[in-house]
Amino acid sequence: MEFEAVIGLEIHVEMKTISKMFSSAPVTFGDDPNTQVMPLDIAFPGTMPVVNKQAVINAIRVSNALHMSIDHELWFDRKNYFYSDLPKGFQITQQARPIGSNGFLTIEIDGKEKKIEIERLHMEEDTCKQLHSWDCSLLDYNRAGIPLVEIVSRPDMRSGEEAMKYAEKIRSIVSFLDVSDGKMEEGSLRCDVNISIREKGTTKLGTKVEIKNLNSFQNIKKAIDFEITRQSTLVECGIPVVQETRRFDEGSQETVLMRVKTDAVDYKYFTEPNITPIELSDEFVEEAIRTSPELAESKLARYKAAGLSEYDSNLLISNKEISDYYDAVVKAGANSKLAANWVLVDVQAILNKSLISIKEFKISPENLGKLILMVESNKVSNKQARDIFAVMVDNNKDPEEVASSIGATQMSNEDELKAIIAKVCDENAQSIVDYKAGKDRALGFLVGKVMQITKGKANPAMTSKLILEEINRR
Amino acid sequence: MGYLRRSIKEIHEALISGAVTPEELVREALTKAHDNNDNAFEYICDKEAYEQIKDLGSKDKNNMLWGIPFVCKDNFSTKDIPTTASSNILNGYVPIFDSEVVIRLKNAGAILIGKATLDELAMGGTGTTGHLGDTYNPWDPSHKHQIGGSSCGSAASVAAGIVPFSIGSDTGDSVRKPAGYSALVGVKPTWGRISRFGLFPFAPSMDHVGYFTRNVFDGAVLLETLAGRDEKDSTSSTEKVIKYSDSVDGNLKGKKIAVIKEIVDSITNDDIKTAFESNLKEMEEAGAVINYVSMDSDLLKAIYPTYIVISCAEATSNNANLDGIKFGPRMGGHTYEEVMINARTKGFSELIKRRFVIGSYALMRENQEELFLRAQKARRLIVNAVNEILKDNDGIYMPSAPNTAPLFEGNSSNKLSNEYLIADNCLAIGNFGGLPSITLPLGFSNGLPFGSNLTCKPFDEATMFSIASGIENITGLKDLSAKGGKR
Repeated sequence: MEFEAVIGLEIHVEMKTISKMFSSAPVTFGDDPNTQVMPLDIAFPGTMPVVNKQAVINAIRVSNALHMSIDHELWFDRKNYFYSDLPKGFQITQQARPIGSNGFLTIEIDGKEKKIEIERLHMEEDTCKQLHSWDCSLLDYNRAGIPLVEIVSRPDMRSGEEAMKYAEKIRSIVSFLDVSDGKMEEGSLRCDVNISIREKGTTKLGTKVEIKNLNSFQNIKKAIDFEITRQSTLVECGIPVVQETRRFDEGSQETVLMRVKTDAVDYKYFTEPNITPIELSDEFVEEAIRTSPELAESKLARYKAAGLSEYDSNLLISNKEISDYYDAVVKAGANSKLAANWVLVDVQAILNKSLISIKEFKISPENLGKLILMVESNKVSNKQARDIFAVMVDNNKDPEEVASSIGATQMSNEDELKAIIAKVCDENAQSIVDYKAGKDRALGFLVGKVMQITKGKANPAMTSKLILEEINRR
Repeated sequence: MGYLRRSIKEIHEALISGAVTPEELVREALTKAHDNNDNAFEYICDKEAYEQIKDLGSKDKNNMLWGIPFVCKDNFSTKDIPTTASSNILNGYVPIFDSEVVIRLKNAGAILIGKATLDELAMGGTGTTGHLGDTYNPWDPSHKHQIGGSSCGSAASVAAGIVPFSIGSDTGDSVRKPAGYSALVGVKPTWGRISRFGLFPFAPSMDHVGYFTRNVFDGAVLLETLAGRDEKDSTSSTEKVIKYSDSVDGNLKGKKIAVIKEIVDSITNDDIKTAFESNLKEMEEAGAVINYVSMDSDLLKAIYPTYIVISCAEATSNNANLDGIKFGPRMGGHTYEEVMINARTKGFSELIKRRFVIGSYALMRENQEELFLRAQKARRLIVNAVNEILKDNDGIYMPSAPNTAPLFEGNSSNKLSNEYLIADNCLAIGNFGGLPSITLPLGFSNGLPFGSNLTCKPFDEATMFSIASGIENITGLKDLSAKGGKR
């Protein structure tokens, strides 16, 4: 029997807004537990939710990037259940009317494009974080109330690779839109997989299994691949697949049973009475989209149009921060291609060597842009620029200051150069004769002599030009 | 002394003239609160009230509320002052923030002297279900009669002459009904007119901040301070706050008053019927136009079940935060489920649990369409019918209850009678549609007060106060308080 998998993904993205979804507590990561909390986050009686405008703007931007229709009226619902990580006893979400609906994104599989449809995108709030030890459970309310967008795909994926690519694309979108860090390892992007299998060619859906606790994009693929094999084996042996929730076990690289799903929980949804429907004007929605940060795809097209290679362009957009840095270097006046070379080779080498991110990299894009401009305008040679760069890496000093402090300047004063050239020509009359006789190499020899005397500081282009003039005069 | 039986306006004048000081008023109020035996208080602010006096110097003495003692229902969050909502599940809970109404009153210079008892979590209309037991009606020193609820302690503290005004909350009729049972003015303005931030939610789509005063003018003055947009409550309105006291003009000329026949017809108490009818006549004589209108009695009878379904459904969700984990008494347990079950089993009375079960049942997937959503539809139909009446009228006028305050014992109202289903529960139309509504004294029967109620168009509090002051002039019933108690 040949099987095909039917896979849908539910992705939760934690937004990096300044404050929480419904309270004014700050959104931060890694702070001491229970220090980033307002009364609403602990559900003190009498507190009321106030919708975070930036979270709405973010949700509009992501919806737009996913080609979704955007609801111009915001409705929120309560999802009611008791759990220790849920302070209010309900979560405010958008069940009946998600802000985004019916969209898609395209992924590339074996060089071919595939469209994955997306059912809905809605805003909601995060729960608090639990730490369980053997004798107690600790609750950290810093996370409670952090804004989330949940993106629910249709069951359009057929393999682990497709699912991984889909999730990576979502990550790229939310991170390029400055909505989220999109880090699976840190939980700012969480992915639940729904997967069933069926005989290829049939349309009836098999029993669905949910996979949770996936903490990397690779693991999405691994878990799905494992699950396809597991379910196929069961079906081939005549054993029915059980509707259950499984998790991916890092150690064994297998999915293991978490709990068998009985009847789905009844969340007793109803409209949140403390938030009256909010009308979004066309202007508001359009403004959110118009001012939206640039997506990876758009950057890619722009880079290629600026003459960068496909390879370099892709390298730049593989990391949102790197591409932002690159854009800032170009904005500071540097030539696109030179800038790409510097960022992808020289800067990247430092990042790799020091194991730091671009955010921790000391040289500001403005100063790097300035340095590249100095090369372009022949104020320093390539070699000198790299010496200056090596100094700047430690202190982000102005490249011109560094150049003069280490004496890395080119001699571009014509009179000074002319004097040196006249002297060199006098001492090497034979070379002039050789050059005039058609031996081009003689020019190089003369340039070399000038470099020797100026300790490499003579501007090479200017030196060649002046020597030729001198030769012609003789 | 005895200033506290007077109106806010009179006390204000005494404060301005120096005849009395805030300290004297606070001392008098605190003494009276301690001496009162109506079980009106959850907490008396002996220390805190004097602390507030210290800040008075920085506040505008000309504000009518400056230096005036008041009482607040114990379901309003008060910073550093225990707030239990008269429920054991909140015993020992001391909030870290003030509700918006308390902030506004404090800023105006009013002095909080106590937190008032209520029906547990504001769910109830009898004043008997709070964790401190029955709250008594000061008009009956023998303590046989209820004062009604859920704002029982707030009503009792004004009726007993302890303070000239108090804050309550009104989800079905919790201010306006007890006001009628205790000869007070009870006001519940338009939904969104007063911020609910800090009010413990019962059913937010119907919850209102309300209050008790002893006359209409004081009611209008109070709204000038309480009303207005609050960023902490996104449902609070940006509608302009006007000088409501300017509309207390007693002018009934040309005012169109609708009387719903089916409501009046369902009442059997002759004293109330007679008083209401003669009141209508006098209003007519004063220039009001009385329009007898009809409303589908099936819709009227649907008010109570609709209210129960929606309020219980919202309540079960709003009170899910009371799980014994974050605040309130921890009852122990080995798992989070045990901790929650133990806290909620011990913390809530049977009555509350019953309401939660009803609410939860109405929200269950298999019942939601038939119960909760159907109740929402019924609510819409009732609101439409009421708005239809208000299209051609300035207000809807009715007795605030079909009887005087019920007895604690032997109170056997037939819950399927028209009187109970219609006249005893129809004040909720003001909550369904978020309409401004005011109860005021109408008369006495066997020494016990009864009241009438006027419900107007959204954000038309000005007309409401204008008509109410006209009615007040006719009845002459104002600045009343029960003198029967210990003092």
